[in-house]
Amino acid sequence: MHALNMPTTNQGIVVRKTLNSYLIGFGEAHVECTLSTRLKKDPNADPVVVGDVVVWNEAAQITGVLPRRNRLSRRGAVPTPGAYAREQVIAANVDQVVPVFAAANPRPAWTLLDRTLVSAESADIPALVILTKLDLVEGRPEAEEIEAVAAEYRAIGYAVVLTSTVTGRGLDELNARLAGRLSALVGKSGTGKTSLLNALDPGLGARVQALSKATGKGRHTTTTSEIFALPSGGSLVDTPGIREFGLWDVDEDDLAWFFPEMRPYLGRCRFGLDCRHDEEPGCAIRKAVMDGRISPYRYQSYLKMRVEP
Amino acid sequence: MTVTFASPRFYTRPGKIKESPGDFICLHCGALVCAEAALSGVRNRNHCPYCLSSRHLDQFEAGDRLSACKARMRPVGLTLKRIGKKYTGHAQGELMLVHRCEDCGKLSINRIAADDVAEAILALLEPSAGLDADTRARLVQAGVTPLDTAQIGLVRTCLFGIGSAALQEG
Repeated sequence: MHALNMPTTNQGIVVRKTLNSYLIGFGEAHVECTLSTRLKKDPNADPVVVGDVVVWNEAAQITGVLPRRNRLSRRGAVPTPGAYAREQVIAANVDQVVPVFAAANPRPAWTLLDRTLVSAESADIPALVILTKLDLVEGRPEAEEIEAVAAEYRAIGYAVVLTSTVTGRGLDELNARLAGRLSALVGKSGTGKTSLLNALDPGLGARVQALSKATGKGRHTTTTSEIFALPSGGSLVDTPGIREFGLWDVDEDDLAWFFPEMRPYLGRCRFGLDCRHDEEPGCAIRKAVMDGRISPYRYQSYLKMRVEP
Repeated sequence: MTVTFASPRFYTRPGKIKESPGDFICLHCGALVCAEAALSGVRNRNHCPYCLSSRHLDQFEAGDRLSACKARMRPVGLTLKRIGKKYTGHAQGELMLVHRCEDCGKLSINRIAADDVAEAILALLEPSAGLDADTRARLVQAGVTPLDTAQIGLVRTCLFGIGSAALQEG
């Protein structure tokens, strides 16, 4: 880290957020800041997140946040059952959301992927889907299923890259797709987000761990969100693993719009835009599912999200 | 490559097969149906015990709830489950209902439940014998043999016990 060398504008990007401090990058330098008292009192749960452009004062306190271009949010965990949920912003001002799922260990949770994609769509941020650990299913029937599901998401319009940090598969394509952009990695613990980062930047040496032998799940090795610059250009926001992805600020009546493959059918149902695409007769989306034009799994995700956003 | 979105996911399917969603009101006859396993003898109650109607909810495998059709499945016939015996080859198993979707025509074979109205099941023997050629051909192709009226004794035995067929004849 460079010594504090105050620029004239005191403006920079939050590159790392820990519990009480924020590392701000400006040019080639960095400064560690805390929140000003005013921002601490901000009713928003996350007044400052990684990716925010902020200004700070002489006391190294962040005093203001510039308007966000976009933000990727989810419903925050509630402290007690029934408590009021708050918005949890994962990252701000990103160019693309990168959901990361493992082909095995842990096996991909497609409904979680759909939730992430809906959140990205609602924030109007492009998405790039990455499947990691392909070496674990090489030559097995699971590999065919993974390829088939990847083909389905590609047919919807999402870019999907199949990768392996062991064999190096897909890393060149990934580098090309990440170049010149700020991308936010999102995924369950243990899917290999940080391993991917280490593979893209071998000199980085970020801490990774194997899955827990007892539970077979990730160990939540990454505990802070941080932006890393890639040697090939572009930057990645490495985020802690998530267990669930509750939708934030997505109206159930607008939900179908955030499934790109459903858009051509909206308004074509017997009940027009009032159709919930569930039990209604003459529903164009249900017919499209039956005709094989929409994935029944994606449709099921849609129905689940209507009930449990 | 054209993607049809019709490939099932087995290895990466979303969680385990779902348990019965609970009590429901039959969309056909309006009866309140109790899904309690202690009453029905089955863990996944999938048809009304009174009118024997079901709903087209599953697509690739039983309980996946992936079908978007959701139309009524009418009981159209009866068959017997084929069970493999280790030493004697195939043997006849329990009585099964044949359902056909009124909307898309999908056929499914379902277990009868303990609280199904036996007379309603027995009454299915006639339509089972008179199944249209297309439905019969699809069933036969799937290895399912629909029962006909000549097998009424067998059906009575399945529904009412071993002595019931002889009693009826007497």
